[in-house]
Amino acid sequence: MDLHLDADDLNMCVQCGLCLPHCPTFRVTGDEAMSPRGRIHLMREVQDNNAPLTTEVLESFETCVQCRGCEPACPSNVPYGHLMEQTRETLAEHGEITPRWQRLALAPLSNPSMLQAGSSALAVAQRLKLVPKRLGISAELPIRRKPLQASGNDVYLFTGCVMDAWQRDVHRAGMRVIEAAGFGVTPTNDLAPCCGALHAHAGLSDTTRGLAETMMAALESDRPILVDSAGCGAAMKDYGHLLGTSEAQAFSERVFDIGEWLALNMDDLPRVAPLDLVVAVQDPCHLRHVQKVHESTRTVLRPYVRELVELDDDGLCCGAGGAYSVLEPELAGQIRERKVEAINRQRPDAVASANPGCSMHLAAAGVPTIHPMELIDQALQQA
Amino acid sequence: MSLLDRFRDRVGSGSATSGDPLVDDLRAVLSPDRVKTDGAQRSLLGKDASVFDGGSAGPICYPISTNEVVDIMQVAQRHDRAVVPRGAGTGLAGGAIPLGAPIVVAVTKMRSIGEIDEANGVAWVEPGVINLDLTRHLTPLGYHFAPDPSSQQVCTIGGNVANNSGGPHCLAYGVTNSHVAAIEIVTPSGDVVMLGGLDPEPDGYDLRGIFIGSEGTLGIATKVAVRLTKNRPAVRTLLLSFASVRDAANTVSDVIAAGIVPAAMEVMDQRITEAVENYVGAGYPTNAAAVLLAEVDGPEEGIDIDADRIAEIGRANNATMVRVAADNTERALLWKGRKTAFGAVAQIAPDYYLHDTVVPRSALADVLDEIYAIADRHDLLIMNVFHAGDGNLHPLIVFDGRDEGVLERVHAAGGEIIEASLAAGGVLSGEHGIGVEKQKYMDRLFSDADLDHQNRLRRAFDPVCRANPGKILPMGHSCADIQQLRSVPTGVWG
Repeated sequence: MDLHLDADDLNMCVQCGLCLPHCPTFRVTGDEAMSPRGRIHLMREVQDNNAPLTTEVLESFETCVQCRGCEPACPSNVPYGHLMEQTRETLAEHGEITPRWQRLALAPLSNPSMLQAGSSALAVAQRLKLVPKRLGISAELPIRRKPLQASGNDVYLFTGCVMDAWQRDVHRAGMRVIEAAGFGVTPTNDLAPCCGALHAHAGLSDTTRGLAETMMAALESDRPILVDSAGCGAAMKDYGHLLGTSEAQAFSERVFDIGEWLALNMDDLPRVAPLDLVVAVQDPCHLRHVQKVHESTRTVLRPYVRELVELDDDGLCCGAGGAYSVLEPELAGQIRERKVEAINRQRPDAVASANPGCSMHLAAAGVPTIHPMELIDQALQQA
Repeated sequence: MSLLDRFRDRVGSGSATSGDPLVDDLRAVLSPDRVKTDGAQRSLLGKDASVFDGGSAGPICYPISTNEVVDIMQVAQRHDRAVVPRGAGTGLAGGAIPLGAPIVVAVTKMRSIGEIDEANGVAWVEPGVINLDLTRHLTPLGYHFAPDPSSQQVCTIGGNVANNSGGPHCLAYGVTNSHVAAIEIVTPSGDVVMLGGLDPEPDGYDLRGIFIGSEGTLGIATKVAVRLTKNRPAVRTLLLSFASVRDAANTVSDVIAAGIVPAAMEVMDQRITEAVENYVGAGYPTNAAAVLLAEVDGPEEGIDIDADRIAEIGRANNATMVRVAADNTERALLWKGRKTAFGAVAQIAPDYYLHDTVVPRSALADVLDEIYAIADRHDLLIMNVFHAGDGNLHPLIVFDGRDEGVLERVHAAGGEIIEASLAAGGVLSGEHGIGVEKQKYMDRLFSDADLDHQNRLRRAFDPVCRANPGKILPMGHSCADIQQLRSVPTGVWG
């Protein structure tokens, strides 16, 4: 089958294998078919040698978390993330992956009222203990959410879909921090409902392109767009590549992770007494491997906590991967175990994670996770 | 694939019998999910990191204990099938390529680090433990595992033992053979045997030494007692650049001649340095014809003396720049560049063939000149990156396999490089092993009697050539007909 992969991109891989230990699924399985090198080899087999799409081949593609930890490990700069997205797009078009129920489940993300209603229903179900553990939702979801109010026009805060329904308090904390630095914030709320990251992961690129265009039209201005979810930020920074237009490129250049942007404006943020906490930084993959701005988390957090500690696992994925932890619960659980061990080795009081998926996935295993903006906000409030 | 097909597929793969008695027997001794037979999986394990293909894997087994490896050997015996062990598949000589649809034993699930025995100075580890993971595990205790191949972030201890792996720092510390005290192996007949021991001078024959570097032809290592090496109190890393590769090579040989034993001395030529710098951004000079990375270690008080002397010798050999890494971050970045050099070549061309000869240090500069000339004659692009300190050359031919006839030229040039190295008094392999790559040159290095005795030794462990057949010994001296091995037994994997 023609996967529509660029032959030169595929040929970038010389099969040296240096990516293997940086792949969470290879790490927990030791199975070549669950490694980036193995997956690229299978892409070649399917595209160049017409190898059949057996269950095993599809499983190899479907089990990729798309964390892209292999990309910085690759000395030949193989664009693995784009190869895997294209593979999934072709397979989804042919109905080989992403069955109808998954497409239906993604539909409410771009419809705020449907999502909020669904989320409130889930919150009620949660209190009635009707939510299966497999979904990995440990924190109590809010039944009602107080709306976010704009405080000015200096920057946008992208509020997104699931995160806005489940973790609006993180947005609130982020807004207070940006405001404390002297900037007025406009939350995007219903203006731009969803970035399309989960759709792109699932191979539904047409939907992603549609969402990207909606967002670009809604947020037309030259204001910076701050994002407090690493996965969303990475997707929005990729619009230039996704749509291939100069407008999309210009839009992507306005997108900043909230920590990345704050690090550039640290001088404006009040210095207060740090929180008496030892905090471990857990780098979301799409902040570290894709956006590559994870150092800014440390820059902004360091003055506001007693001690920052690093994990010793080279930023290996935690297994959350957007909807991955729901679709591949067994592998996601094994991957998380490694992360939890790495966290336990540092004995922190709290774990700072700048991505809602990671923090929920880790919280479900009992890890005390918190968004870096919430920590800074707490320090500022305390003063 | 329709839903119904997928359902059938799942039901099919989950059924009690596979239709192949060998697979059924393997699934009976391991759990069924750790025996893979899918065509796609087998095609993946038909290759390693070398350019050699033609491998064809039979069933793939993922054992998790010594007992399971014994069980696999016994099943192999009953079905008269060969067995090929595999670690991370980063070998560059085709040592892990399965010939003749053997059972592939992937040890990547045997990855626990067991007892750390500080009194005896060893740690007991399983063969699938990754080299760098071991060192990181030992770091808080003040130790590391000394062999540090460029692939150390991914290669396994089992693979290191099989290939007697080296690495940049083996110049001062010695290769794997010096860092393994004892090995538990499963022999091709299914016996569990301990080779070597923890005594400083074990009695009897040194079978441990024979097993290390045997490339899986004598059995499968299931536990390894690796020696703990104390971490270095202080380190200085120097980067020198030169206007010619010859000047860099001469510096290396002058440093050793001056009686200095640096921890490592590595040279990269301009083309590879450019690719590396583009990846790591470590500040490697991309306008120099060659760079030399030299490292000295020891007590803080003494190392600056050695570092200064190396800088002086470099300047005497026309070094255009000498820089000392300012801190650990810069040092780590410089080493990351050196250790990812081979993987970085796809920036230039999609395929590479990496050689691994060793020449006397005094001949380095002349042999390098000859290598560049060979590449020119064959119209090929060649780069040199090498463990200069011990004369271990890694000429790297980069090419695009899609170009008509290029592979013939690559192999022809490779042959001439080997001839040139041997003519200068060198040997075939520094650390990558013989595998399927250099078998045909073995008789250039060894007499018939030499090879015959090697074959007899191998037969003592493995009378029927069950373990990794078709490797190391050339045809006529090995017990298996390689050509026959390359064809899959009929009726087995149609």
